[in-house]
Amino acid sequence: MSKKIPARGPSAGHVPAARERGPYLVAFAVLVALTLVEMGVVKSGGIPHRAAVVALIAIATAKAALIALFYMHLRYETRILKLTVLAPLVAPAVYGLLLMLDAAWRHMR
Amino acid sequence: MSTTVTSEHGHPAVAWPPDAQYGSATPGKIGMWIFLLSDAFSFGALLIAEGILYAGHKPWRQPSEPELGIGFTAVLTFILLCTSLTNVLAWAAAADGRRKQAAQLLAITALGGAVFLVGQFQEWFGIWAPGLLHEGLVFGQSPRASTFYVITGYHGLHVLFGVAYILAILFGYLRGRVTERQIELLGLYWCFVDFVWVFVFSFVYLLPSLSGA
Repeated sequence: MSKKIPARGPSAGHVPAARERGPYLVAFAVLVALTLVEMGVVKSGGIPHRAAVVALIAIATAKAALIALFYMHLRYETRILKLTVLAPLVAPAVYGLLLMLDAAWRHMR
Repeated sequence: MSTTVTSEHGHPAVAWPPDAQYGSATPGKIGMWIFLLSDAFSFGALLIAEGILYAGHKPWRQPSEPELGIGFTAVLTFILLCTSLTNVLAWAAAADGRRKQAAQLLAITALGGAVFLVGQFQEWFGIWAPGLLHEGLVFGQSPRASTFYVITGYHGLHVLFGVAYILAILFGYLRGRVTERQIELLGLYWCFVDFVWVFVFSFVYLLPSLSGA
């Protein structure tokens, strides 16, 4: 038995573009490239410590965003679902940032 | 555009109305996202705890403790990234009705997860080379050692459960009991494991290595 219901809003299962391989392969290539950049930041040794810390955190955030948007299909979901997922993640990120600032301040004392 | 709801287990599946806020996202998908959010808070708490210990606990590490193998872990990171790709391609294949390809990609994903676990076992205990435990990174001897094992162990448990989850979905799919919707939910979980690993790799391996900690 089957029943058809209309879909008023988007979701990955109903977006034909979500089934195309191209964006996933591009996202994969970018993720690998960013990982190599991370390794370069750590191994180079010539980058100032604070700049390296900021770079590594920024790269990690960018990689996580790529995974969430492409591989976890968040880019195809409604704005409300995106907010439902992303807004609560901001709080721990702020805690983490404050913690790092605190650590940096103690390090400077 | 429409959604077809097929019957399962001999009775018709309940159709839900597309929602003005959540579109056609199924209740299962929203539930999975809520679960993943709560799991993200657990990982966030562990990483913040690591940061507090790193900043405030002296000594952070014992002088005799070994350095972490960043190169080896980068290879494990690459494997995990590959599995996220194969997983999402498995969903795309299933959504297109390419069942054989979807099953193959799911099997590759499970294999990649298993390889990651073998790599982590090597890193901890050693298989073909001495592990960190034998080299002197002992749980309980320093905040660095304890947080390392707790965080990577907690993530490893997620990978272990994920491999079992993939295999369960794969066998169900081969028997015709699993649809692409369930493969998509699996994909959310598995890619979340990768999502979290991005931060574990940075905060446990890369950032402390900048100052030689």
